[in-house]
Amino acid sequence: MLNHAIKYEWLNLLRDRWVMILLILFLGITVFAVRNGKEKVEDRMATITKEKEKMVKLDRKMAADIDSLNKNLKPAPEAWKDPRALDNIGWNAPRVVAMDAQPLAVISTGQSDLFTHYAKPKIYGEAYTLGFSELSNPVQLLFGSFDLAFVCIYLLPLLVLGFSYNVLSSEKESGVLRLTLAQPISLYQWLFGKLLLRFFILTSIVVASILFSLTIFDIDWLGNRGAATKLILLVTVYIFFWFLISFLINLLGNSSGSNAVTLIAVWVVFVLLIPSIISQTANSFYPVPSRTIMIHEYREAKALAEKKADEILKTYYREHPEYAPKDTTQQNQYSWWLGNFAASDVINQSVQPVLDDYNEALNKQQSWVNRLRFLSPAILLQDGLNDLAGTSPAHYTDFRDQVIAFADTWRHYFIPRMFNNEKMQAEDFGSLPTHSYSSAQVPSHYPADLMGLLFFLTLTVAGSVWVYRRNSFENVLSV
Amino acid sequence: MILKIALKELKEIVREGRFRITAITLFALLLAALFVSKSYYTSVNAQHSEAKKNARSEWVEQGQKNPHSAAHYGTYAFKPKYPLSLIDNGVDKYTGVSIYLEAHKRNEAQYAAAQDQTALSRFGDLTPDFVLIFIVPLFIILIGFNAFTRERESGTLRLLKSQGVSTWKLTMGKWLGLFLPVLLIAIPVYVLAALFLANIKDYGQFSLWALTLLFGVYLIYYAVFINITLFVSSLFKKSNVAFVTLLGIWMVSCLAMPKISTAIADKLYPYPTQVEFEEQIAVDKKKGLDGHNPWNTEAKKLEEETLKKYGVDSVQQLPFNWDGFLMQEGEKHTADIYFKHYQLLKDTYVNQTNVYRSTAALSPFLPTRFLSMAICRTDYTSHWDFANAAENYRIELVGKMNGDMAANSKYGDWDYLADDKLWSSVPDFQYEPASYTTVIRQNTSNLITLLAWLLLSFAALYGAVTKMKTI
Repeated sequence: MLNHAIKYEWLNLLRDRWVMILLILFLGITVFAVRNGKEKVEDRMATITKEKEKMVKLDRKMAADIDSLNKNLKPAPEAWKDPRALDNIGWNAPRVVAMDAQPLAVISTGQSDLFTHYAKPKIYGEAYTLGFSELSNPVQLLFGSFDLAFVCIYLLPLLVLGFSYNVLSSEKESGVLRLTLAQPISLYQWLFGKLLLRFFILTSIVVASILFSLTIFDIDWLGNRGAATKLILLVTVYIFFWFLISFLINLLGNSSGSNAVTLIAVWVVFVLLIPSIISQTANSFYPVPSRTIMIHEYREAKALAEKKADEILKTYYREHPEYAPKDTTQQNQYSWWLGNFAASDVINQSVQPVLDDYNEALNKQQSWVNRLRFLSPAILLQDGLNDLAGTSPAHYTDFRDQVIAFADTWRHYFIPRMFNNEKMQAEDFGSLPTHSYSSAQVPSHYPADLMGLLFFLTLTVAGSVWVYRRNSFENVLSV
Repeated sequence: MILKIALKELKEIVREGRFRITAITLFALLLAALFVSKSYYTSVNAQHSEAKKNARSEWVEQGQKNPHSAAHYGTYAFKPKYPLSLIDNGVDKYTGVSIYLEAHKRNEAQYAAAQDQTALSRFGDLTPDFVLIFIVPLFIILIGFNAFTRERESGTLRLLKSQGVSTWKLTMGKWLGLFLPVLLIAIPVYVLAALFLANIKDYGQFSLWALTLLFGVYLIYYAVFINITLFVSSLFKKSNVAFVTLLGIWMVSCLAMPKISTAIADKLYPYPTQVEFEEQIAVDKKKGLDGHNPWNTEAKKLEEETLKKYGVDSVQQLPFNWDGFLMQEGEKHTADIYFKHYQLLKDTYVNQTNVYRSTAALSPFLPTRFLSMAICRTDYTSHWDFANAAENYRIELVGKMNGDMAANSKYGDWDYLADDKLWSSVPDFQYEPASYTTVIRQNTSNLITLLAWLLLSFAALYGAVTKMKTI
């Protein structure tokens, strides 16, 4: 009997023009969203490729120059232009340290519009001064991008609610409910079946639209089946959560209008209010210390260290006897740089506490927010999508750490050679340190996000059972 | 008659549980937002004045130095926070708070708060503007979607007609019935905000007039939403359909349109990346005159000209330090290069702004958002204005340093040292924001669009209700 009812429900839906409109509308929105994401990722990768090509070209030119200088085919340039001088290589031919886009980067802009995706650390300069901010119109950042994450987090629940808010109430209002229930059928099974059917239809539309959009924009989701499955799973659970909320509200037995209003209120609370409240409490309870104060402390520590620069170099040699000039009769051509390195090492050491304090406060705020994300399915979905796209704050912090680590590698390639008063040779270009990006060490939030969403599912199911037990059958039936 | 209908509507709305719950929630949210914003504002302001003081003392107490080294050491300009930012924080979260001012280089403002926050902050913060611009329209829809459909569904619309009530009077009554509850929430918030702002110690920049203007803009915006709500309610037979339609309108104008406009603006007038921008500047710098590089052809030319002008044959014989003079000439040249490139950037930004201004015809949210930020001085234009003022100060500061070096030292004498006297002779950075007349002038188009929305939505409502069927 139940099968029968569901079958007719299916036929009913098939003939409903709303399903068709929904399909076209959602497909259009998804294609637009993925196109926006694709454009951003393409720009990002094109810039990185261009930078790398420029680097290779410069390397080749410098190697050729060194070659002709060594063969005396060219007059020697001024010292500050000489490609044989290691400081010129370390300063003028930096490597490109890039953060390549993850295969599914198109799905969520995340923090990618705030930061640059590559840096060119040089032999001299403090890690703190490396700029990562991207040039952009802040209005665009304020409004955010129309990406797949936006479609899923904000719009999808509204589609679900529009598709299901009156499953029970409309039957009641048109009087069909009494007829249906005259059949040997359980109200709850029937209602659940109806919603399940709608869930399957909507989920199929959503999944098909997403996969279709990814395919037409050449995103290799088949090659990244693991990530694609995770994406589909996360979105499906989110859709299911909203269907269950709708089921719960329908069970209360109110009118269609009242259901619609209640469901919208739930949406506003989960998608708009809770995230903004948590974000605000994070700023109030764990305020990030002022960057402006940090600048001051940093400059004070630096000025103090600079005053003692001469002493510093002596101490530095005491601590690094391996670097002390062996042949004191010969002038080291890099002596100015070496003094600078020593001073900057000391400066970095003395300002480290300032930076550490700052980072600790930042971490506290972020871990507070990370814990509170379990209060809203919308935050969990956002977090999970950013995780899959590789655009979460954790990814950018990790990239910054990679750049800072590489800056150190780069410097330490040159320092011993400079102390030895060596020169750059054409064949040395092949042995310069290189960086390859990997996000493997970023701890994944995905499993926790998925668990969190499943927890919300369980909660809603428990809520439905409670309502079912409390509510009398007559109450549901009464119009 | 209109008033009677309005009072009846009001009574009906107030009696409904739905209204009471949402109104109380809304009011609580606004209060919370106001309090949190106030404490945020106070702490940021305290930080700002401390940082300002620090930067000044660092500069004045930097000890004996060559003036050009002092220009390299530089100082910071900090962006002030204005009292009304506690109503609307605008783009402040996404723009840097401090600009490093040094010789040879114009720096971008650094340390945007958003960069230090988690991705959560991209959902938006619970600030008064979030409630006032996003949530209040939703509240209007919630209490008004069934204004006409309810009468139609229960058959009372026909009764009313038979009583000889003109539809227009009925509409005006219902209009007031929606506007009064909104006013009931907006007025206490306005009064509270005014009290808060008046009690902030350094409220030098605050004017009650601006706050009133801000609330005026919000009220026009609410009127537009009331018109739309009643218009839709008069079109449909069923409350459900009216509700879903209105929700769709809200979603498109408040959520989707800003993002769609951004996608269009970005596609048509893309910003250069930070590195591209810097490289374009570097290319110009290379071609031009570089203060640190006297071998450069243009510097050579300048040298010849100067020598001829003073009738001497070497730079040592000049009555001033050639190094200082040359560096200042180089500084002027770089400043021109920066000016050129920032002007190009500004053109892109103006073009993007124009995209938003044209899409504002599709969403009353957009002109309101821009007006609100502009009045609160938290829009992008205010940021540009500050950055330009900081750049002018930088040019002045570096010029003074190079000038002192040229006048008081000899060529090649890099051991010349200046002291606090010179440092403190440079006035502290003071920034006066643009006047409100300028702000209004910059936003005339937004104001016109918003007023057009008001008039057209009124006209649409009038047209719809006069043709309205009772069944």
